Amino acid sequence: MLDAGRHPNIEVLTNSELIELGGSAGNFRAKVWRRPRYVNEELCTGCGQCAEDCPVVVPNEFEVGMGARKAIYSPFAQAVPNTYIIDRENCLNSDFLVCNNCQKSCDRDAINYDDSGKVVDINVGAVIVATGFDVYDASAIPSYGYGLYHNVLTNMELERVLNATGPTQGHIVRPSDHKVPRKIAFIQCVGSRGEGKEAGCQYCSRFCCMNTVKDCLLIKQHAPDIEEVLVFYIDIRAAGKGFEDFYRRSQEMPELKYIRGRPSKILEDPETHDPIIFVEDGETGKVSRIKVDMAVLASGAVSAESNSRLADVLGIELDENGFFEIDTKYGSPLHTLREGVYVCGCAAGVNDISDSVAQGSGAAAEAERFATRLPEEKEPKEKKEIDTSGPPRVGVFLCHCGINIAGVLDIEALKEHAKSIPNVVHVEDNLFLCSDEGQRMVQERISEHKLNRVVAAACTPRTHEPIFRESCDQVGLNPYLFEMVNVRDQCSWVHTTTPDKATAKAKDLIKMGVARSKHLQPLYKNSIPVNQSVLVIGGGVAGMCAALELEAQGLKVYLIEKEGRLGGILNDLTRVYPANLSAFELSRALMEKVEASRIEATASTEINSIRGFVGNFDVATTNGNLKVGAIVIATGAHIYKPGDEFGYGQFDNVITNQELENILHDSRDKIKIKGETPETVVFVQCVGSRDPEKNSGCSRYCCPTTIKQAIRLRESGVNVAVLHRDMRTVGAQAEEQYRRARELGVKFIRYNDERLPEVFGDGGRARTVEILELALQRILQVDVDYVVLAAGMVPNEATTAKLHDILKVPRDADGFFMERHAKLGPVETTIEGVFVAGCVSGPKDIADSIAQGSAAAAKVASIICKETVELEPTTCTVDQSLCRACGQCVEICEYHGPSLVELADGRRAAKINQALCKGCGTCASWCPTGAIVALHFTDEQIDSMMEALLAGVV
Amino acid sequence: MAQRTTRTKKKKPQAEFVPNIVAFACNWCSYAGADTAGVNRVQYSPNFRVIRTMCSGRVSPGFVLKALKLGADGVLVSGCHFGDCHYIFGNYKAVDQFEKTKALVKTLGLDEKRIRLEWVSAAEGARWGQVIDEFVEQITALGPSPLNHKQKAKK
Repeated sequence: MLDAGRHPNIEVLTNSELIELGGSAGNFRAKVWRRPRYVNEELCTGCGQCAEDCPVVVPNEFEVGMGARKAIYSPFAQAVPNTYIIDRENCLNSDFLVCNNCQKSCDRDAINYDDSGKVVDINVGAVIVATGFDVYDASAIPSYGYGLYHNVLTNMELERVLNATGPTQGHIVRPSDHKVPRKIAFIQCVGSRGEGKEAGCQYCSRFCCMNTVKDCLLIKQHAPDIEEVLVFYIDIRAAGKGFEDFYRRSQEMPELKYIRGRPSKILEDPETHDPIIFVEDGETGKVSRIKVDMAVLASGAVSAESNSRLADVLGIELDENGFFEIDTKYGSPLHTLREGVYVCGCAAGVNDISDSVAQGSGAAAEAERFATRLPEEKEPKEKKEIDTSGPPRVGVFLCHCGINIAGVLDIEALKEHAKSIPNVVHVEDNLFLCSDEGQRMVQERISEHKLNRVVAAACTPRTHEPIFRESCDQVGLNPYLFEMVNVRDQCSWVHTTTPDKATAKAKDLIKMGVARSKHLQPLYKNSIPVNQSVLVIGGGVAGMCAALELEAQGLKVYLIEKEGRLGGILNDLTRVYPANLSAFELSRALMEKVEASRIEATASTEINSIRGFVGNFDVATTNGNLKVGAIVIATGAHIYKPGDEFGYGQFDNVITNQELENILHDSRDKIKIKGETPETVVFVQCVGSRDPEKNSGCSRYCCPTTIKQAIRLRESGVNVAVLHRDMRTVGAQAEEQYRRARELGVKFIRYNDERLPEVFGDGGRARTVEILELALQRILQVDVDYVVLAAGMVPNEATTAKLHDILKVPRDADGFFMERHAKLGPVETTIEGVFVAGCVSGPKDIADSIAQGSAAAAKVASIICKETVELEPTTCTVDQSLCRACGQCVEICEYHGPSLVELADGRRAAKINQALCKGCGTCASWCPTGAIVALHFTDEQIDSMMEALLAGVV
Repeated sequence: MAQRTTRTKKKKPQAEFVPNIVAFACNWCSYAGADTAGVNRVQYSPNFRVIRTMCSGRVSPGFVLKALKLGADGVLVSGCHFGDCHYIFGNYKAVDQFEKTKALVKTLGLDEKRIRLEWVSAAEGARWGQVIDEFVEQITALGPSPLNHKQKAKK
């Protein structure tokens, strides 16, 4: 949020609504209604004094009603912008009553009770809808008694309870008596996967299973004495990267029990307020009533209430669930039915965080086709830099932050103290240092007093250092000669009750800041030229989509494919769920687009070596050499090839889903396998997936694929049974298709890890499948004509291992490439300028791969659209005269910054590539000879702080 | 905002002993968590001074020993929870460094309770306050460091 709020090209309009959208793609005319805030955004500093003085206390929406807020408030602690807002429905100021407390308390005069909002006109090239979802209202299911019973909570309420910043500071207590619960039950699928007349949606909300698993582990952390946690579920859908491992880890928690069953109702013990859950155990068939201390309803996601109004304004349609309808002809989840209007995240259906992030970047790439690029900022002409070679002349500036700092700390005492520190030549205070006027003051004093170091004692460097640095830079003082001392967030705000001690602490902090500032050195951002071209490795669906997006933005794209033709896995598919698009048509359309474009696509080509770094990669392929600025790895994954599981290889009628796909590909109306129409086909799920020894993760694509194939078979009269552990039909339309399969008469039989299904046969043919029916506790024998193994997805070992060796992108336990951040950086890697898209980073379906291709394109474009890339100078460097080439830094660095090089005198020493170094400084702490210097966090700088603080102690 | 209840201290070795504690906090999690504590107005002990580093992995045994040598009564190192490190595995490196530091501290004859390694995320403002309170209490109970001559002189 902070990044978006601070980005020079992003204007954040909160508390606003789109009311009209005219024009067309490339030239939309938007009318935006900015609702009244009653607080001037330009003046408000977010100090919070107004809320302190406001007399009205109302329930806090952010705490799901469990906490309180004032009538003038900031929605939550890290809100962007950090501007307060008046809730006029609860504000005392009205026609006949005057309170004016907030107006009186505001030093900046930012309160305006007469604010009436305004309509602004904006001209834009494209629109992205990212309005998210609403949480299902659990009180719509009366039998669960949410809202009636004290100790029945929703997952959202529990989230706040578990949060350290929540209403109970992270202590788990139940609402009725504030006691720590000993026994907690989770009820899954509340409002999701609804059946028959029951309330709720038909689809799977996707996030609630993992949310519950996470909460169970958190509960154990927050309340180690918990006796029992029960989870009532239908299927645990741990279908995402790393999710299955997480689920498996939760199963090791002895207090946690997963029970398959959907409770019919909850009652409450009138005396103790304990919820009593009525449930039939799906595995034993036993009906029981279970008394717990607290019940948590895993409420699902529903389409946002505002969607219909917004859809009207945008002139697009909603689907039957109230989400924005996708134009399925692209196979991509990002296009709406109006050109230039894109959708991402939960506005178009339920998605988890990493998919939403990828879709967000993908939508940005699509939108860029219609957006005009802002001209690149030209550096102002050479400014004169202040000479800093002489003795330090430090200026100390103290901020009052209204009364946030000055109300607690003794500013006069701090000023006196600061003046007494050697080398401090000027000390001054200001009501709001961060205001324009405050910054101008600092700039004037720099020239007046010939300051060559600036120390500001104010709020936190994490938010305000960039402002001060820029001001210093403007008057020629190197921005890295600025030092910030945090006397608000980490002093006046947290030691309010002991002002003397807080002032003593602030004195020390200023002393330390001044000491450090004297050791600061000017640093300069290096910029290196960027080669404005990109290499996409892998010509599957993700690779082709990434290449097409980048080409549409006018960039030079090289696309290389190992096989003889483009298309990847699409070439082996018949139809693509959920819209039943023809895989052939989809891949042909993409290939034709690639051919018609300026993309340089070469088949039958492999990578030999890659050298260089962001902006400047030298690539050697089997088909010539390339110079590119960025690389997208989209080499996909392989379908697991079964060993001898379930009689594969032994019986010729045991085939994989991939082989069945080929058969379906060839059959028109009547399905014929090897010339005959089968009577009974049995699918076995999770072959080579969810198996810690082979591939620990869930392959995610196989359940929906099996459903797709089972429906096709069933429709031509075949008896179909699916043997599974959990049906994980997540994703658009998957749950609906699962229901359809059941309605068509496909049998679903669950097996567990202890007893896998067994295939028996003779003469090279499988005859029967035996499975333990869990509810009956009886072995079922099914005569079969064909057994289909739903084989999971595994890394493309040869390619992945080779690229890992060449590019050093880390691999996870299953061998897939690791993304930079599992949630927030799904297409970035730890190597700057190298991106991943599609199945190379973990199993995905076609739609998700397309979204990732677009996302990677957006990320690449943000680097190589510029002519140069700026390198942050706060990196590590090596004093090679001290280095003895032990190589430890090379070993520990995750970013491959350090390497050993030969010097002119023949000695070997470490050298750190500034383009790769992230400046964490771990190598500097590790270096046994002290040869590595972590710039801006040098040993001298840190030592000087300690020396200043502890002077006179020894 | 909620106020934290201050625990009554059972043992007070010296009435006027105020410990000198140096706290190293990583920029991305712990320092941000300390800021969050401020935003939420969590109240906790003021008897510590923070030094910001980019990563807890930056904190070498040398820094901790230097602080102790200069007379600090306790040193806290705080980073991101495992899996949350901004630099992937910097916090794991911090564990290795801390183990070395601990061995050195013991060799020097100092109580290893004087140094502590903690994980506080950017959201855990209340936890930051709790960690500081607990550590201040622990150091107060231990009394002044044998290297803290000023306090020894007072005795």
